[in-house]
Amino acid sequence: MKFALFLGCKIPSRLPAYEASTRAVLGHLGVTLVDLEFDCCGYPARNYSHDAFVVAAARNLALAERAGLDVLTPCKCCFGTLRHAIRFLREDAELRSRVGEALSEDGLTWSGKTQVEHLLPVLARTIGVDALAAAVRAPRTGLRVAAQYGCHALRPANVTGFDNPMAPTIFETLIRATGAIAVDWPRRLDCCGDPLHEANGPLSERMTRAKIADALESGAEVMCTACPHCHLRFDTVQANNADPAIRTLLYTQLLGLALGLPAKSLGL
Amino acid sequence: MDMSPALFQSTLYASLALCVLGLAWRASAWFHIRIGPDARAVRPARRVAAVFRGAASTLSSRRVFRVLGALFLDVLLLRRLFATGKLRWLGHLLVVAGFTLLLLMHALAAIVTVKLFQGYQPTLAPYLFLRNLFGAMVLIGVAMLLFGRRRQRTALPQARRPLAAAFVLLLGFVLVSGFLLEAHKIASPRAFYRMTEQFIGSIDPEKLEPLRALWGSEFGVAFDDLPLPLDPRLVEAGRELHRDACGFCHAKPASAFVSYPIAGLLAPVTVLMDAARADAWLLYLHVFACFLGLASLPFTRFFHAVASPVSLLVAAAALEREVPAPPFSAEARASQRALALDACVRCGICDARCSVAPIARYLGNPGLLPSHKLLATGALASGRLLRSGRENDALLAADGAFLCTDCGRCTSRCPVGLDLEDLWEAGRGDLAAAGLPTPAQWVQARSALEWAESLEPGSGQHALSDLDAASASLSADRSKYSRCVQCQTCTNVCPVVAHSLDSDHGVDLTPQKVMNLLRLGLGDLALGSRMVWDCATCYQCQENCPEGIRVTDIMCELRSLAVQRLGAVRSRREPS
Repeated sequence: MKFALFLGCKIPSRLPAYEASTRAVLGHLGVTLVDLEFDCCGYPARNYSHDAFVVAAARNLALAERAGLDVLTPCKCCFGTLRHAIRFLREDAELRSRVGEALSEDGLTWSGKTQVEHLLPVLARTIGVDALAAAVRAPRTGLRVAAQYGCHALRPANVTGFDNPMAPTIFETLIRATGAIAVDWPRRLDCCGDPLHEANGPLSERMTRAKIADALESGAEVMCTACPHCHLRFDTVQANNADPAIRTLLYTQLLGLALGLPAKSLGL
Repeated sequence: MDMSPALFQSTLYASLALCVLGLAWRASAWFHIRIGPDARAVRPARRVAAVFRGAASTLSSRRVFRVLGALFLDVLLLRRLFATGKLRWLGHLLVVAGFTLLLLMHALAAIVTVKLFQGYQPTLAPYLFLRNLFGAMVLIGVAMLLFGRRRQRTALPQARRPLAAAFVLLLGFVLVSGFLLEAHKIASPRAFYRMTEQFIGSIDPEKLEPLRALWGSEFGVAFDDLPLPLDPRLVEAGRELHRDACGFCHAKPASAFVSYPIAGLLAPVTVLMDAARADAWLLYLHVFACFLGLASLPFTRFFHAVASPVSLLVAAAALEREVPAPPFSAEARASQRALALDACVRCGICDARCSVAPIARYLGNPGLLPSHKLLATGALASGRLLRSGRENDALLAADGAFLCTDCGRCTSRCPVGLDLEDLWEAGRGDLAAAGLPTPAQWVQARSALEWAESLEPGSGQHALSDLDAASASLSADRSKYSRCVQCQTCTNVCPVVAHSLDSDHGVDLTPQKVMNLLRLGLGDLALGSRMVWDCATCYQCQENCPEGIRVTDIMCELRSLAVQRLGAVRSRREPS
């Protein structure tokens, strides 16, 4: 099993533990990750120019296609953005030709072969929950974990194909595979607030705190994430106030611990 | 032929004075240029004091070893450049090492070399060879760097490098004139006769014939009146004379592996050059070019030769601050940012791997690229960016600053170790303070209605125009939202609406109202609305819409449309 690893912008600079734990866990499970010269997924350009956003995304898709690889990304924002770009390219022939022209300046083309997948479905479906459970050496028995789904992977389901968008189970299933308890909490599918922190800080913070309070009230000890934006959002908001805090843990760290990998290799 | 000592010394001291004054002037900027909102409150005197405090605390702690390590690895061996490109590193190392060694051994020979090596004469081995080696190192290094720069050319322009080309030319001129001077001195019969007169006391060709035979055949002097073929006995006799009179100071110049072959090439014109006093004017050219370089160093991009090492050492001192040492102070940070403006070499390594470079190319806005952002940050701090006539530059710079994803690649690859992340954040703060904030902020500075009125004053029509169709495939296409039945499902599931508890931070419209405005042909009224700009893009509305309307995608599209259309209105006015 081999993928081009798309880390995006946030992970290498702000959350290197996610990169370390992703490489450690996938390496342990026999997945080969290839590093290509990817750039920004295109998300920030979406507010400025629809075309520029799709061109930026398509350039990454074309790089993966040239290498003959599908893309795996641990970031839900990058995942959603790349998937959206594919949809826009498929449905709009004029856009496709404008983008194709821009790509050809770099000697690139994209014919539509590249698949983009998020880390969690690869773990749950490509590798398989049973295989994960079988590889667990140090089950996290009794640990009460809240799954933070993350909007851009979950919705819209016809673009992301992540899970049932109204009643997803993939994250809880993955948490249970580590031996931990997946806590049911009402706000599990809500937005973490991160995309709004620049446009409307107070409202964004309200959204984040509502989620943290809800997870704590539901008896969770750990907020489990699989997206650098959600993860950093919880950490940032919790660092700035005295409210009760919940421990945040990346899914790759939770799984890595259960697989018996050294904590240091997981960035812990 | 030597230079008049008075002329030499007066020019030297004038150049030195210009250099020192220039350096002081440039360095003073490190203490008064203010970048970032936090730097604005700090007075220059406190910044100067912070440097002394920082230096004292560094010298008295274990950090001094880290700084020494940086001096050796980062400054002398250019470790950070090695990590980004071996060819470039080698080229730069050759220039720095060759130039430094030439400066010490050759230019400062009377101060340095004479003291270190007894019996030093520039015309003895191994100095002949070494001088050529160091000069060749600089020339080859410069050629490698120029070659690397040519290869790096991209579609977008590179950042300006004031006078850099002139300075490189000057450096090349110093080297080439030096080699020519040495070559001419080797080949010159005139120099030969001057020396023999001085040290043997005769210029009688008869008496000097054996020496002329030796120097003509083995020392490269281009006599045009030697009887050929040379009698080997004459040469041997010359060798004896040479040993007694010349050998103390003169080795065979063949080891000057650049100048000696040039001397051979110059042989046919040497007599002409002698007649034209080439030794004098080549010397003047060489020396005055050096002085010009010295005097202009602070005023060109080559000031980085001073600023970059300082920046690297400061970065080493500031790195991994020991707990519980106080955090790097605002004063020190302010100075470090100002220093970064000078330490940046504009090498473009950051630009080449910038995450948003493809977006910069597509938008045709080099303002997104790190080296251009650094220039804009400096121009904003000095007020130049806000001068009238540069409104468009300022807007492009703001787009560049806010499209940056803070991926940190520029910082991690910067060969002079600049903390560019910190600089970008400070620059964004300055832009926002100057009335050039993010689109979300400048759009929301006016109400949706104000924006709509400014688009089409006096007209009641606010439909998105047909011209928008190319960049707005969803919102300009009625079939994409005409099925909306105003059921309010989108509004009910919207977390932004749900958290809009106060009027200061709540939304003005709801998603369903935005869809309705589009339906009614009043899309302009939505462009500047809080709902569009405060949309969290969580896709709840789109996922839940019973009619399958792509509500979130339309919201995103309205934003890019707003940036284009409202941006055009905004740029017609002074930034507020």
